[in-house]
Amino acid sequence: MIQFKALLIKELKEAFRDKRALLVALSMGLLAPVMIMVMSKTMIKDFVDNPAVYVKFTGAEHAPKLIKAFKDENILAFADVPEEDHRVWDQWNVELIIPDTFAQDLSEGKPIDVILRADYSEKALGSPLRRIKDEIRKYSRIIGYKRLLVRGIDVKLLQPLKLQEQDTALPTSNAMIITLMLGLYLMMGAFISGQSISIDSSAGERERNVLEMLLCQPVSTLKIVMAKLMCSSLIAIISVTLMLSLTTVSVSFVDLTKIGATFNLDVFTFVALLLLLIPLCFLAAALQLFFAFQAKTFKEAQSTVAMLIMIPTMIPVAMMIMDSKPAWTEWAPIAGQSLLMEDLFKGLPVDWAALIVTSGATIALTVGLVLTLAKKLTSEKVVMSLS
Amino acid sequence: MIEVNNLHKSFKSKKETVIALDGLSFQAKDGEITGILGPNGAGKTTCLRTLYGLLSADEGFATIDGIKVTENPLAARAKLGIFPDKFGLYERLTAYEQIDYFASLHGLTGKAKKQAIETVLTDLEMQELAHRRTAGFSQGQRMKVTLAQALVHQPQNFVLDEPTRGLDVMSTRVLRNYLAKFKEKGHCILFSSHVMQEVAALCDRVIIVANGKLAAQGTPQELCDLAGESHLEEAFVKLIGSDEGVAA
Repeated sequence: MIQFKALLIKELKEAFRDKRALLVALSMGLLAPVMIMVMSKTMIKDFVDNPAVYVKFTGAEHAPKLIKAFKDENILAFADVPEEDHRVWDQWNVELIIPDTFAQDLSEGKPIDVILRADYSEKALGSPLRRIKDEIRKYSRIIGYKRLLVRGIDVKLLQPLKLQEQDTALPTSNAMIITLMLGLYLMMGAFISGQSISIDSSAGERERNVLEMLLCQPVSTLKIVMAKLMCSSLIAIISVTLMLSLTTVSVSFVDLTKIGATFNLDVFTFVALLLLLIPLCFLAAALQLFFAFQAKTFKEAQSTVAMLIMIPTMIPVAMMIMDSKPAWTEWAPIAGQSLLMEDLFKGLPVDWAALIVTSGATIALTVGLVLTLAKKLTSEKVVMSLS
Repeated sequence: MIEVNNLHKSFKSKKETVIALDGLSFQAKDGEITGILGPNGAGKTTCLRTLYGLLSADEGFATIDGIKVTENPLAARAKLGIFPDKFGLYERLTAYEQIDYFASLHGLTGKAKKQAIETVLTDLEMQELAHRRTAGFSQGQRMKVTLAQALVHQPQNFVLDEPTRGLDVMSTRVLRNYLAKFKEKGHCILFSSHVMQEVAALCDRVIIVANGKLAAQGTPQELCDLAGESHLEEAFVKLIGSDEGVAA
């Protein structure tokens, strides 16, 4: 115990004295809340506002009323585009062609072909095109209804069925944008924050010739690995806690009521999230040490360990895409946490059994890695690569 | 007391097998300074690493105060102070913290630890350095810190791998004086070096290793007599059978 305490204190001293590395390690925790705030603000703006759409009308003079209707919905002629947006809208080139015979065909009750031409695969045009189409349908329907009315027919006859939509989603699940980002950031925070500390205390020590000295001491490699693991995961835990606390503050600056959402990180959610993330911090540290210790150089360690970031980013995305998830994903490390986190954000009750099983599986994997690494450190291969 | 008995060690790679140790045996007794001499690649570092329990011998064994290193590496290491071939320092710790760290690794606590650290700091005349961070220390200061951390638990056996490399005259003298004092107290010191004058001046017994085997052993004078030369350097060249490696 004396040895372990000494090892741990030394690791902590080294980690906390390298102020710049520590700041980098915690940067994720400090920056993510700000990013979440900024991104949700822009997203909400896009979601709620009706930004101006600029269309190149041909034959606008034939249908002044249609143009007026467009104008009411903030769909304007290309001639009105402000200077700063000119290039973009010119490139998108949304055209609406109104035939010369518009007024005449309309009065004669003939069908009129209005042509909307644009690049439908352009993602940014999705919402403008939808608005233009909606507006044309609305305009067309109103004229149709009027025609029926003057002939003495009730327009309700056109709607034998009327769909009543009722959304059962809880208010918080509308805050999906924020929770999606927060979930991803938390996972990444747990994985990245301890990274520099892990590499420095393994490959770095080897490069500074202090590892051999340590391995020659009467101390088991298991204690050495455990001390390094504790230190690195502690940094990750601090970073994740910081991120959670700051997000609670930063989200309060965003007006979520605009999208009908109330996102609330109450004490319970906070604690449950931490419970999910702490085992992940240990697993991340174990993985980082495992690969960094086996790398031949500091540089190699950095590039190998950097690849690990794929794990927390790919798995949750895969979970999101997969429609029918196999049962094991619920308890597998990372996948399980990601699913549970999703439930938590949706405001669903926590599945404690799943939480315990996932955490257990994560810790078991960590223990496995630590034991293997401790064994590997006693092998000659590691010693040979010391010099 | 350190005993090495019929050590064999070879390193196999895909292409070739390198025999590093080929039946090396020797003893380093308590109250003596034993020097290991040998050209580069003779197997000195491999031998010492086997002694620390970092490498395991293919055949033969090493004991430290009668404890077999392979059977109980932790107990054997506890009896050992090590000044390694390449030593690094924890640059974010002060010299004191570093010595404290190694003292704790050897199981010292509380007053006993404090006392041990004070003793070693006084012996090496390094109180002034004690509370400075080791980043930017000179080679001599680094040597002192490494020496202090290796000796803070007052090990019965002390192994040094080329300790005087890169040291100036003053630092070398500090080291020499300290080793002489340590010997007086009845400790066993094993010392590998390339510097003949140093070995001649300091060592009670010299072991010459070449090609992983013991080439000769005895006091510096005995070795000179054996080779019929007046200088240890000449005797060394004659005994290892070539002049290869002496320049290094």
